[in-house]
Amino acid sequence: MAARDRHGSGPPFGDVFKVVGTSARKVDGMAKATGEAVFTDDITLPGMLHAKTLRSPHAHARIVAIDTTRAAALPGVRAVITGRDLPGRFGVLPWTQDETALALEKVRFVGEPVAAVAAVDEDTAIDALELIRIEYELLTPHFDPLDALRDDAAPIHDTRERNVSKNVLLEFGDVNAEFARADVVIDEHYSFHGTTHAAIEPHCALARLGADGVLTLYSSTQITHYVQRTVAKVLELPEHLVRVIQPCVGGGFGGKSDPFSLELCVCKLACITGRPVKMLYDREEVFYTHRGRHPMQMHFRTAATREGKLLALDARTVLDGGAYSSFGLVTTYYSGQLLAGPYALDALRFDSTRVFTNKPPCGPKRGHGAVQPRFAFEVQLDELATRLDLDPIELRRRGALPAYTETLNGQRITSNGLLACLTAVERASEWRVRRGRLPFGVGLGVAASMYISGTNYPVYPNEMPQAGIVLEANRSGLVTVLTGSNDIGQGASTIVRMLVAEELGLALDQVRVVAADTDLCPVDLGAYSSRVTFMVGNAAIDACRKLRAKLTSALAAHWETFEGDIVLSEGEAFDRKEPTRRLSLKEAIAIAEAKYDTLATAGSYNTPKLGGAYRGGTIGASPSYSFTAHVAEVRVDDETGRITCEHLYVAHDCGRALNPMLVAGQMDGSAYMGAAEALMEDHDVDERGLHRGPSLLDYPIPTALDVPGLSSLIVESIDPEGPYGAKEAGEGPLHPAVPAIANAVYDAVGVRLRHLPFTPARVLAELEQQRAALEGRRARC
Amino acid sequence: MLRMPRFEVSCPESLPEALALLAESELDTRVMAGGTDLLVALKNRLEVPQRVVSLARVGGLDHVTEQEGSLAIGARVTLAQLGASDLVRRLAPALGEAARSVASPQVRQVATIGGNALLSTRCRYYNQSHFWRKALGFCLKKDGTLCHVVEGGKKCVAAASGDTAPALLTLGARVTLESQHGVRALPLLDLYRNDGIANTVLRPDELLTELVVPAQRPGHRGAYEKLRVREAIDYPLLGVAVRLDVDPDSAVVTDVDVVLTALQAKPRRVARIDSLIVGVPIHGEAFEAAAAQLGLRARDQCHPVANVPGDPEYRRKLVPVLVRRALLRAAGAA
Amino acid sequence: MTSRPAPDPVFAFELNGETVTVSAPAHHTLLELLRYRQGLTGTKQGCDKGDCGACTVLLDGSPVLSCLTLAVTVAGRAVTTIEGLGAEHRRAEGRPHPVQEAFDRSGALQCGFCQPGMLLSSAALLRKNPSPTADEVRAALSGNLCRCTGYAQIIEAVLRAAAVERGEDPPAPAWSIEPRDEEP
Repeated sequence: MAARDRHGSGPPFGDVFKVVGTSARKVDGMAKATGEAVFTDDITLPGMLHAKTLRSPHAHARIVAIDTTRAAALPGVRAVITGRDLPGRFGVLPWTQDETALALEKVRFVGEPVAAVAAVDEDTAIDALELIRIEYELLTPHFDPLDALRDDAAPIHDTRERNVSKNVLLEFGDVNAEFARADVVIDEHYSFHGTTHAAIEPHCALARLGADGVLTLYSSTQITHYVQRTVAKVLELPEHLVRVIQPCVGGGFGGKSDPFSLELCVCKLACITGRPVKMLYDREEVFYTHRGRHPMQMHFRTAATREGKLLALDARTVLDGGAYSSFGLVTTYYSGQLLAGPYALDALRFDSTRVFTNKPPCGPKRGHGAVQPRFAFEVQLDELATRLDLDPIELRRRGALPAYTETLNGQRITSNGLLACLTAVERASEWRVRRGRLPFGVGLGVAASMYISGTNYPVYPNEMPQAGIVLEANRSGLVTVLTGSNDIGQGASTIVRMLVAEELGLALDQVRVVAADTDLCPVDLGAYSSRVTFMVGNAAIDACRKLRAKLTSALAAHWETFEGDIVLSEGEAFDRKEPTRRLSLKEAIAIAEAKYDTLATAGSYNTPKLGGAYRGGTIGASPSYSFTAHVAEVRVDDETGRITCEHLYVAHDCGRALNPMLVAGQMDGSAYMGAAEALMEDHDVDERGLHRGPSLLDYPIPTALDVPGLSSLIVESIDPEGPYGAKEAGEGPLHPAVPAIANAVYDAVGVRLRHLPFTPARVLAELEQQRAALEGRRARC
Repeated sequence: MLRMPRFEVSCPESLPEALALLAESELDTRVMAGGTDLLVALKNRLEVPQRVVSLARVGGLDHVTEQEGSLAIGARVTLAQLGASDLVRRLAPALGEAARSVASPQVRQVATIGGNALLSTRCRYYNQSHFWRKALGFCLKKDGTLCHVVEGGKKCVAAASGDTAPALLTLGARVTLESQHGVRALPLLDLYRNDGIANTVLRPDELLTELVVPAQRPGHRGAYEKLRVREAIDYPLLGVAVRLDVDPDSAVVTDVDVVLTALQAKPRRVARIDSLIVGVPIHGEAFEAAAAQLGLRARDQCHPVANVPGDPEYRRKLVPVLVRRALLRAAGAA
Repeated sequence: MTSRPAPDPVFAFELNGETVTVSAPAHHTLLELLRYRQGLTGTKQGCDKGDCGACTVLLDGSPVLSCLTLAVTVAGRAVTTIEGLGAEHRRAEGRPHPVQEAFDRSGALQCGFCQPGMLLSSAALLRKNPSPTADEVRAALSGNLCRCTGYAQIIEAVLRAAAVERGEDPPAPAWSIEPRDEEP
């Protein structure tokens, strides 16, 4: 099937890329710089109503009765809905659909949506919420996953006997045997706290039911396609009558990759009232919507030889899932499956249990499921290096998987730039002359990682392409690209434009990208799993090759020459052998259109069959993997416990940098986000289940004064699977930031940080313990 | 978006007009200068006034003037103006540092010294939305009867959170309060009460119009240290202002003052410290030792509670560190 | 109390160079007026509580938070939004404001949501200080949160705009491409 073809990593014409590899501007750069770009909340439709959500004040309670009569009677109120109006269960994964748009029988966390009101304005809607009476019967809440796992714990979901959301136990190789022959075993506990995406744009949705029966939903989503399916399912409409449009999205990071209550509520309210309905979450509601990083408690054991050869990893992990499943099944697999690289292991066992608790649901945040175990393992490797008196970079070099291999859990590795990444950060940080030799309080630490470029596991099983593209070449000289993919700021549409321009020899302004409108665009699964550039890029090239064939064959006939001699480049077509034969591409398109009728082609991409032949073997299996290494430079104030990450050297193997400026932006943004998780962010609830700080004041994300210096070093390994050799760059560069900082702190002050976040209070307590131990030792001498 | 309660706004053009509006007692009124604190309180339904009197168009009250070393500061002077003022930098360096440490550039652009001096006390259980507080069951300070910081507490322990107040207190600042009934001037310390709910003695009909920083002695030095998570935006988790008077000839400390904030409802002056440091030359180990001793004494007098974010035990541990650092920095900044 | 609510105040101010007379409820913010009554949706709403800076506009040339500004209090003053930032340059010189150009050129625009505020803070900084250091840029932008970029390309962009306006070469970006072995 063409969709699975590799397209080669070289330029389409001659030896040189014309567009690929340039730091071309973004398709929407100037629109965003001038305020012209339209985000969901920027849209106002005639007659539009405003909707607000009533939320649960209880962490765990049964809904005994809801009375909405007074709210519905308030002048200006047009509709009030509760769980009974939208009873259809949904969830992004078809196997774990445990959500409803509004709570049905129970509420499971503080802030869970219970009712929604549409009114002529927000003031009226808010007044109406106050008039809704709900009687709750309080139930015992569970905030600690270990507490929720106890046999006598009240089940959070009545359909489940215990609060286990998912358990995965997999073993590859003989772990016990490897531990038996190990010279060294490092056995420690680690924990990763909760963090959230905190995209600056709050979630917003606007729905309208047309006279033609089409329900149109504008939403700040990363996954138009899954939202369309979910709306159709829950509102019991045929999918073809649901149109989902994604306007500009103000950041996602995984926080907009589930279908959400507000999308379903505005659709239902629009259907009831016959008027457009908008709902904009306030910042506090965004914190309750969450789907952020799962807190994890990890017990890791690593076995190695005295030379530093890694033998086995035995990982036991408890994931705190919050109240609903979301992507949690996948998260649970990722917490172990992605540990099989980037280092060779003889055996790997992981036992991961995701637990329901009465907190905002966790889900996918940048580096989904793999950032937490990566932290534990990379710190453990540092501990191993210390034990063996080995340079931590050298330890990683010795363990690095080669290119073109398979991990022991069956993941096929293609290109692999890990060694180049390690070398790049070693050089840039002057590691060899500085590490271990800096004054007390200053230190360097290293960590590395690998991540998927999309996965061959679509969210719902099907044999159809994961990415589709339609091209139309117009006699005006314009090529229009239709893609279902979601540009959420990462530059998806820019990359598509660049690839099409390269393949067809067009100037950038001759390519227009129409994206993320389910009526106009072929299906793409969405902006998650670092799949967009890889999959949509391949689909674009596939479509271009078909269009190019029409152009070149029409021109070959026109010039009575060979197709192979036709070159399309920089807005022109010419005959390589007879360069005086030259036409603008506008003219070339006209010739081809005359010969072949209206010029349109479709292209698609699907992954090859990948993954181990065992249950869950496809989860975490990717057509290619990116590799990353960081060196962090930190300064630790031993009086205050405050860690300042002075610099992050970030080397990332992205295959080929299709647009280096955008790649660097993804690397910078990932690395800084990881550092912030390590040092200042903490998403948690208190003993009542109340969020500890649902605001951008109390959940501090860094200002321009709080970020490390960033040196993003792009490593290009040219992958045979990706478009022109490209792999992902949007998530992988986050992973090593957290352990690299922990390892740098050890180099700086000799304190081993195994529990996140590294707040000054925790670091100071560790330093005090260290001092007490030293003094105790001195006293004994 | 977040909604505010419906209220009217009056924009008087002069001080007498403003005072006349405040003297009318039938409407529950709040005064707004920069509005950066009040508007958040309105959005959180912490304040539900019927009327807001905006000082936006009141002329005057925006002076920073020197008279024989004494600094007169109009209440409407913005923190940005204060932070950039050479007069302040020279005569009251701690105040300049404190002003520059508040929130963000945009906030400092409009937030005023009067507003910062009168900033409402803050608490993790109070500075939250109506929904959040309702889910909590409200608290002593607003709409409820329970204190969630101190179990069984009958007195609100919300924390003084203005950065400039401790600096002003070390400088011996006085404030002028005006109403239609007259003018009263009082030491800034007497403006504050140790009550998280009513933390000042300002009457509803009064306006804070001016702050006066008296002439400091020759050899005056000052500094402000702020504990916070980020280098911008955040309120203090602990604030320490110091004043050091140093004999210009002998470089010996002649007087000292240390005031802490973000502990309780009223900024706290550290007591019994003169003997630790007066007479000590500011250069050398003796000063460092004295500064450390002074820090420990400050810690012994401070008992942070879980009113603002951050572990109270940690905040207590940081008291001696910040006090010492402020003293050393003041001493070094000749 | 059943007294009739007071009519909405009517007031005039200068908006992006033109005097406008508007009527807005007393309890509405400038952000609400701009976005939902004037149709100037370039000014963004990120937190509505003064914590993120997305709603930054220029008031008499200085950056302020429109979510913490009561609309009526801008009477008689000059407000510049992102829509107005480029206007004078486009009119006078047929090009966008140098910071708009530089943000696009440096990759400083990812999702674009914080950028209107970021650009206005940057423009105000460059007007006051045409040759800022990187640290001065960080300080001037410390009230504008960005979640995408890690600020590196933003700071580069502001320094680029400053350099271009001074007629100097733009600074090199902090990122680079490692030399690579032969392709397979």
